[in-house]
Amino acid sequence: MTVLPFVVVAGVAAALALALRSRPRLSSIAGLLGLAACVVLALAIQPGQVSTLDGGGLATTDYQQRFLVLASLAALGLAVAGLAAGTRRDAAGVSLAVLAAAGLTIGLVDPRAAVLVATTGGLFGVALTLVPGGARAGATVGIREARAVIVAGALAIAATAWIGRDLRELDAQPVVFGLAYLAMATAVAMRFGAIPFHLWAARLADVVPESALPIVTAIAPAALAVVALGWVDVMVVPRPVDLGVERLLVIAVALVTIVLAAVAAFVQDDLEHVLGYAIVSDAGVIVLALAVLEPAAGPPARTWILAFIVGRAAFAAWTAGIRTGLWTGRVADLRGWVRRSPILAAAFVVIAVAGVGFPGLAAYDARTTLVDLALDPPFSTVVLVATLAPIAYYARLFVIGVAPPDHIIESGAGWAPVLERIGETGRRRWLATTWGRNRPFTTAIVSAALAVLALLTAAGVFGGR
Amino acid sequence: MNPALAGVALAVVIGAVFAASAHRARAAILGLVVTLVGAPAIADPPAEALGLAARLVGALLAGYLLWIATRGHNVRTAGSRVGWPTEAFVAAAAAVVGYGSHGLGAPAAGPPLASAAGFALAAIAVLPVVTGRDVLRVGLGLSLLLSGALLVRVGIGGTPDAFEQVLTAVLVATLGGAVAVLAAAAHADGPGGFEMSAATPHRPSHVGDPSAVRPR
Repeated sequence: MTVLPFVVVAGVAAALALALRSRPRLSSIAGLLGLAACVVLALAIQPGQVSTLDGGGLATTDYQQRFLVLASLAALGLAVAGLAAGTRRDAAGVSLAVLAAAGLTIGLVDPRAAVLVATTGGLFGVALTLVPGGARAGATVGIREARAVIVAGALAIAATAWIGRDLRELDAQPVVFGLAYLAMATAVAMRFGAIPFHLWAARLADVVPESALPIVTAIAPAALAVVALGWVDVMVVPRPVDLGVERLLVIAVALVTIVLAAVAAFVQDDLEHVLGYAIVSDAGVIVLALAVLEPAAGPPARTWILAFIVGRAAFAAWTAGIRTGLWTGRVADLRGWVRRSPILAAAFVVIAVAGVGFPGLAAYDARTTLVDLALDPPFSTVVLVATLAPIAYYARLFVIGVAPPDHIIESGAGWAPVLERIGETGRRRWLATTWGRNRPFTTAIVSAALAVLALLTAAGVFGGR
Repeated sequence: MNPALAGVALAVVIGAVFAASAHRARAAILGLVVTLVGAPAIADPPAEALGLAARLVGALLAGYLLWIATRGHNVRTAGSRVGWPTEAFVAAAAAVVGYGSHGLGAPAAGPPLASAAGFALAAIAVLPVVTGRDVLRVGLGLSLLLSGALLVRVGIGGTPDAFEQVLTAVLVATLGGAVAVLAAAAHADGPGGFEMSAATPHRPSHVGDPSAVRPR
């Protein structure tokens, strides 16, 4: 099967979920069913097929299938966690729209068409910025997000147009090649909210629920990153043009992003911002991959992208679990969280291991390879150590979690499943009550499931070795 | 130079100047619609009928959604602080640069007028996109910037095929819809019109309210 059924079903389900937004329960059901269908349809994609479209084509690849399967599973997990933890009513619909756009973006053979779809996909996230009771503030964050998406889109459109033509009669200086390459790298960096383009992404964490944040800041831009990596491989790498200065600029942005975003995540006072900056920090490695300019960069970069989207989704689900179970997102208020929820504690350890990694883990090796390809020793060694900066924010959260609680802990309340017998109130009432009482347990289980998926992805079980 | 194409390019740029400088929201939207409708026609050879139709629908849909978002009596947007003559001069200068640098270093597959109009639109978009403090004005600027980039793409790479035109139409309509939703939300939130908020949205640390666990 080609990717078309996936795109069509995701698009139709997104439209349905958004059209039913005035009836949240129906909208949620449509969204969850659509996301489940996406997982099935992504699994059914057969790599190696090409659908010819007017002037181009839609190809299915092995990597595209893995990306869509993992992104769909992550989005489904986040949607369930969001339902339990509280999210925007449009979250599932936006997730579906982003998945539809991602499927089309990665499948399109012509990068000029792909960047258009990637830009469209980025705009769907705007729907999540509208805050009830704070519409103007939400709209302000939303228009800034739209600005980042469109400016990045304009840069990508210009870059793909410039190099995507017959250049045999080129009379321009190599600097124009450099500008086109720089435009594409900047577009990717902007979409991920890399430093110094991070202000809009930081504000996004103020309004977008934690369970929906990776959809907007990880999965949607990751599709553009996949296109950019392919474009650089085919259009830039084969050209005998010296792009030394441009490469240095991209490396600088990547390194500053990896280190400073991890530091920002370490010092943040609330979990949503820790999550937001953690996503930005890991995205820095993808920006670094764009600076390698060697064919060898493609495989490890694609491996890292898979680990990135699932790992950050698992971290987001963990954040939602903490908020649901402890009723707070303030890091300072989380003393003793490890004792309160063994499931979340186990999930956290797995997420941290998958995120930081160790030699032998596919994601870790991919990151190491990218750093080695981008920089020569001894700089590569220094940068490799710098990429371990996320240990700092994971350690901070864990130390707070094992510290003695500063208030009385209800023994196990909320962290074990609560099941009561169906009484005289009826099945529907029982279902609603059971769902309500099991919200912390549900988010913890989803977090644990995504954590295991993240570890498997980081280990290269879904390819990448 | 094809005079018909030049006429369309002129109309597109005039529409953009209007969109960037008008203080009445619906007048600015009308200017934008002129730009969005005319932009796909600046191509040589002309775009296929299906592609053109898609772009027309996308442009009108974007304009209609923005029109709905600006419902009300004498709804105003920030408009240009430097005035329309300055915007027009900026557009003219950028158009000359675009026309002169057509192809950007290699033979181009599209008409130089597309590059000229594209550069003009991008130049007009800079002020609202960079300095705009009004949701609608920034949104109009983004639409102009996108149209400018698409015109430069046509100037360099030639007329897009019908499929790419359909994708472009979807992008234009989605941007119009996104800006409309945001503008309507800002406008409905008390006095201040489309002005951006100076305050950061407050997220409660303790989610003790029942609404926090419901879809919202």
